[in-house]
Amino acid sequence: MVRLKKQTIDILLLITIITIAIFGIIMIYSASYIWAEYKFNDPLKFVKNQTLFFVIGMLLLYIVSKINYYTYFEYSNMLLLTCIILLIFVLIPGIGTVRNGSRSWFGIGSFGIQPSEFTKLALIIFTSKYLSKNIKDIKDIKKGVLPLIILTLLIFGLIMLQPDFGTGTIIVMTIMGMLFMSGVKFSFFMRIGMVGILGVVGLIIAAPYRVARILSFLNPWKDPLGSGFQIIQSLYAIGPGGIFGFGFGNSRQKHFYLPEPQTDFIFSIISEEFGFLGVIIISTLFLIIIIRGFTIARNCKDLFGKFLVSGIIFGLAFQTVLNLMVVVGLIPVTGVTLPFLSYGGSSLLITLASMGIILNVSRYQK
Amino acid sequence: MFFKGIHSRIKIVLFVFIMLMILIVFKVFYIQVIDYERLNKYASGLWSRNLPIEANRGLVYDRNGVVLADNLTTTSLVLIPNQIINKEMTSSKLSKILDVSVDEMKKHVYKKTSIERVHPEGRRLTYDIADEILSLNLPGVYLVKEAKRNYPFDTYMSHTLGFVGIDNQGLSGLELMYDDYLTGSYGAIKYFSDAKGKKLQLTEIYEKPQDGINVTLTINHEIQLALERELDNALSKYNPDQALGIVMDPNNGEILALSSRPNFSPSNYQDYTVEEINRNLPIWATYEPGSTFKIITLASVLEEKLIDLEKDTFHDSGSIKVENARLRCWKHGGHGSQTYLEVVENSCNPGFVSLGLKLGKETLFEYINNFGFGKKTGVDLNGEGSGILFNLDNVGPVELATTAFGQGVSVTPIQQITAVSAAINGGYLYKPYIVKSLNEPVTNSVIKLNESQLVRKVISEDTSSKVRYALESVVSNGTGRPAYIENYRVGGKTGTAQKVKDGRYMVGNYIVSFIGFMPADDPKVVVYIALDNAKGVTQYGGTIAGPIARNVMLETIDVLNIEKRKGGMPKEYNYLDKKYATVPSVVGMNVKDAMKLLKSFKVEFSGSGNTIMYQSPSVGERIYEGNVVRLLLTEGGD
Repeated sequence: MVRLKKQTIDILLLITIITIAIFGIIMIYSASYIWAEYKFNDPLKFVKNQTLFFVIGMLLLYIVSKINYYTYFEYSNMLLLTCIILLIFVLIPGIGTVRNGSRSWFGIGSFGIQPSEFTKLALIIFTSKYLSKNIKDIKDIKKGVLPLIILTLLIFGLIMLQPDFGTGTIIVMTIMGMLFMSGVKFSFFMRIGMVGILGVVGLIIAAPYRVARILSFLNPWKDPLGSGFQIIQSLYAIGPGGIFGFGFGNSRQKHFYLPEPQTDFIFSIISEEFGFLGVIIISTLFLIIIIRGFTIARNCKDLFGKFLVSGIIFGLAFQTVLNLMVVVGLIPVTGVTLPFLSYGGSSLLITLASMGIILNVSRYQK
Repeated sequence: MFFKGIHSRIKIVLFVFIMLMILIVFKVFYIQVIDYERLNKYASGLWSRNLPIEANRGLVYDRNGVVLADNLTTTSLVLIPNQIINKEMTSSKLSKILDVSVDEMKKHVYKKTSIERVHPEGRRLTYDIADEILSLNLPGVYLVKEAKRNYPFDTYMSHTLGFVGIDNQGLSGLELMYDDYLTGSYGAIKYFSDAKGKKLQLTEIYEKPQDGINVTLTINHEIQLALERELDNALSKYNPDQALGIVMDPNNGEILALSSRPNFSPSNYQDYTVEEINRNLPIWATYEPGSTFKIITLASVLEEKLIDLEKDTFHDSGSIKVENARLRCWKHGGHGSQTYLEVVENSCNPGFVSLGLKLGKETLFEYINNFGFGKKTGVDLNGEGSGILFNLDNVGPVELATTAFGQGVSVTPIQQITAVSAAINGGYLYKPYIVKSLNEPVTNSVIKLNESQLVRKVISEDTSSKVRYALESVVSNGTGRPAYIENYRVGGKTGTAQKVKDGRYMVGNYIVSFIGFMPADDPKVVVYIALDNAKGVTQYGGTIAGPIARNVMLETIDVLNIEKRKGGMPKEYNYLDKKYATVPSVVGMNVKDAMKLLKSFKVEFSGSGNTIMYQSPSVGERIYEGNVVRLLLTEGGD
């Protein structure tokens, strides 16, 4: 274990995290109270849960920010193993519960815990350790990269059994991102890209209608009640918001037009209530987190810390961008939540804990 | 160390993420700023629900602003099923108030629609029922304003005004013809709703309905009333199968009144047959005109200068032989030797046959066509007939002869009155019309003004004045005497036409008609009256239709302020007729001289003295013999 002189944590990052998380709670209140009252006869149902997770998450963040990140280096194998066992357990009916068609949760009362969220963090920790230890072999695909790819695909497979395509994709892409940052040759990614393109071509040949369906996001009005429904409802929220928005609480699309507005499409409601100015502010907050995160990674003095921070930030940034591109209609609907803002206990908990790790790393900078 | 490579890779990753965030922000900018209008419009359509508010239908006015068709405001029940909380209770309560079965009402209440009208039970509710529903204060139950068409004079001019259906859509007459103008556009109360149809607590937007455009007619209400009254009287007196009348301003083609019997009540149009409702007789009916058509023959022959009315003579032996046919005069034994003026006065058929033969078929038919017969006049009403003329190729001497006195042709009343107007107004054939202007609903200012349209000049001023003279003579001396009005110089022509059924003339079944105008020196009004199969009397146009036309004309004197005339023809008397005498001038005379001059009148004095200062009626007026002449006396003089 490396002993370094302790510094103060990154205050700008901390403030940004707290700001965006609190804003998330407020927006979950605004977006969800109609839906919550209709579904649970309790308009505060979602906001109460989220607030509880926020409090726990902030405590976790505080604690984690005090724990030296090298601790995870020590326990990474055990953490990952535990998570994989949980991923297997969650698939067993009776233990795992089904929500929205996926067996992804351990139900505890009205709360749900998603092992896949924890696995994401555990795999990032594991990968960081693996990469920092095998950095010399990283140019050798077979020896350095392949074992990690196999492990990642195994976990991806387990998650797809639930199924949870969104989280699976984020995990795979995060590991790919970490491999990229670790210095794996461009040609490797080119080849992966080629495989991807070939896959897409194969899909077009095999079933052209499916492609049409996937591409329906380009013109959602072709099928307004089917594949285009969510994106149209999202655009009907964002568009009328205009530059200044309808004001807090005045969204119209949350009145059952946009289903479950507190989850994947909460950004639409934010755009509707706060307009383009709100969008600029939220985007700026996310960019601050991303830029600060990568800066901390750069300033970290050891490889493990660099990989750990850049992996976490890559995952967060990738998920954010994926969600926002869906919401504004740039890519097809994938079912990915927006970090900090979408409703979801496990996700918020893990995100805040991850931020705690980054803040801890920020104590040991050059 | 590997830091450098890792840092450059991190830079690439960071750059890509920043670019993606910028792309996202640009897309949002596009959605919220550039595409704003379109999305906002679509989304508003999604969020807002409309409670329609009916516009008032445009009003129909006579030429002087008397309202002939207006609207009564009523309310109608509208349900928004998604807002109804207790559907059972709402159904049962409404069914009780509206007297509908609960099951029927449930169909409306449970219907999966955004807005449901309870039709027809919930339409046009009375005040009491509306109030009862309102007092329930049920969510999702609304009362909206609806306008109901109202005809203040009921059956008056029913064919022409027409009527509307339950949704205020014009179904006949002017209501149909001008439906696009009369119908306004719906207004609405717009409210915002959630996706389940519940009302959101957002501001309601009230969109004012746009009332329909008003229509002003050329009709003169007072003359119309007189015509309606006279037709009703004729109906009770003669019980004809049908009756009709038109009053027209000969100088521009404006229809001042038109009506027919049978008529109907537009509010209860369901109670009448389609024929009763659809047949606007003054423009639809097509029949042999009979002698009124002789005016056309007369005008043609005068324009061609083929006879001199007073100098040329014709001998009527009671019939005339044309080719192998013997055409009889209506008077048994004939009229003997007459001037052509007398031929006109007597409506002598052989005399007119001779005129027709003088003209020849080409010339006569050219005039008939020029006067507008054989084709629609183009009056702005639905359902106009066009009449039937002989095909010129099939016209032999017999057809020419019968056409000359009005048999074997078939015309509509509107053609008849339009042509006669041209014959007497100086020769100008105008297109008849009934809509004077379209008016903006709020200020009633004119949007579109219909002006009189000259179709063509048919005869000269000089010929026209001769026609007037001849027709005045018909009323003064001939068959038209029942229409004579002292001092107002009535001209006119009678008509008695046998009806044709299955190609044969019917026995004892005539259409009697009279077309009259006044004053003969400067016609202000033309009146056409026709009765189909008048019963209980000898069916002559002069005796039946003449007095009806006369009564209508009497009314127009007051309404149109027609001044008394001088120089009219005195009426020629039958032994039954009362005599008229012209009042001489006695002002300035002493009582004794005056009494000598006034011996055929009754004299009343006022004032004292021996000299007459003022007399009433004034000099030149024609009154019945034995009527009172009042004299105001003064002292002095010689």
